[in-house]
Amino acid sequence: MAVRTIEVRERVMARNDALAGGVRARLRDAGVVALNLVSSPGSGKTALLERTLGALGGELEMAVITGDVQTQNDADRLARHTDRLVQAVVTGGACHLDALQIETALEAIDLARTRLLFIENVGNLVCPASWDLGEAAKVVVFSVTEGEDKPLKYPKMFREASYAVLNKIDLLPHLDFDVAAALANARSVNPALRFFQTSARTGEGLAGWFAFLRAQAGAGAPA
Amino acid sequence: MHELSVALEIRRIAEARLARSELPQLSAVGVEVGDDSGIEPENLRFCLEAVFAEPPFRGARPVLERLGGDVLRVAYLEVDDGCPDH
Repeated sequence: MAVRTIEVRERVMARNDALAGGVRARLRDAGVVALNLVSSPGSGKTALLERTLGALGGELEMAVITGDVQTQNDADRLARHTDRLVQAVVTGGACHLDALQIETALEAIDLARTRLLFIENVGNLVCPASWDLGEAAKVVVFSVTEGEDKPLKYPKMFREASYAVLNKIDLLPHLDFDVAAALANARSVNPALRFFQTSARTGEGLAGWFAFLRAQAGAGAPA
Repeated sequence: MHELSVALEIRRIAEARLARSELPQLSAVGVEVGDDSGIEPENLRFCLEAVFAEPPFRGARPVLERLGGDVLRVAYLEVDDGCPDH
């Protein structure tokens, strides 16, 4: 049989990364800083954003894109804390958001009225690590009800992230969670990670998170 | 978990690289999979077999090469025109 081999050598993620590059350029030109929030399910991403929208909504212009496999429950929750449209992307089974979905969602967002864009990714510590969405940075959220070794079990996600939020710290008195060990594990995977320790329920530690967001919003503003 | 998305993208790359008449002749797809790519190779193999079983393809065989690092790349496509060697 005549068998012909065609050399391809094309990265599988090349198309997504090209789209993400376009999203990143568009956001940069508009002076919008996009933060991609990634985590396992139930770590408190939505609660953290509820607190954030409630506290900073009158001060910073913020928009949100939520990603869920099914339902727009998170978008509905967040919409109660902002008068801005919360864009819900229902992936219909896919375990992550991709750059095309973000490009499409941006069509409904008034970027001229936005300084900070939160992308609440699908709750999953594996797949979203591989998809560039055009964000300025990934923020990995994990909580004290998870194991201290989460960073070691999911190193790609913690390597890809620039910031880590350790959430639900109000529960520490009731748990055996070792904060120092968790932070050490995360640093062993990514020494450059910057940490926040928060409780989205009580508000503990949120001042540092809010200060960070104010700085981000200022840094992204067009000259 | 995202191996199906990756398999569909590999199928799209194959469709873009081959002429329409060549699609049923695709016999093998070579994919390089890095240990740190976030891909579970056997899961990807299963998904590739599924997506290339659908027309216009006729069951192209996935050939996965494990490598170090985070590479995830379509290395080559093998087309068998069914004709005897010249």
